[in-house]
Amino acid sequence: MESIYKISYVVLGKEHPGAIMNADHKPEIGEHVKLGKEEFVVDEIVDLIPTRGIFHYLHATLRAIEV
Amino acid sequence: MEPVDVLRAVELFEGLTDEELASLGAICGRETLQAGDIITREGQPGKRLFIVYKGFVEVTRSSRDPESKPRTVVNLGEGQMFGEMALVDLGPRSATVRSVSPTTDLFVIERDAFLQLCENNHHLGYVVMRNIAADLSFKLRHRNLVAR
Repeated sequence: MESIYKISYVVLGKEHPGAIMNADHKPEIGEHVKLGKEEFVVDEIVDLIPTRGIFHYLHATLRAIEV
Repeated sequence: MEPVDVLRAVELFEGLTDEELASLGAICGRETLQAGDIITREGQPGKRLFIVYKGFVEVTRSSRDPESKPRTVVNLGEGQMFGEMALVDLGPRSATVRSVSPTTDLFVIERDAFLQLCENNHHLGYVVMRNIAADLSFKLRHRNLVAR
């Protein structure tokens, strides 16, 4: 079974509760992420706690997409 | 994909044997909801735990000020569980959870069947309760990061 990435997403620069969701890959800085109907850009990504089994635990900081 | 393979990708079941996964699979129901459907209501009794298989849900809590709108405290996507507090402490629902994606597929576990399974197999009970504790810890870490 492939790795699963459980990610705590925090949005900077606006009032937003963030999200927790699984991904099938580790997001990269600059990647676009959709939380519900809203889309953001990954600004920072760090390991939050040690890996357990196939699960990796990450924290990602997001910002709004500039238009 | 086999049902056991689907369950293996759920963090709640991490560390279980194939046999244990199969026994949990036997008490796991499936539900599909539409956008706007309420899954749990804050303050109401609850006897079920939910795991988001596909889709996205919004978790809201009421404000102390009855004039204020409920506040969204977190959004939960694929692989995340909710309703576990009522499963563990038998208390009322701590939040209202609503489907926000066009469709949301959930795994549903009834408390009585789950606790019976834990009584019958202490290894399964230990692993699942440890995973619930780890998930609650992760949610606390997320809240701390949001509040920073």
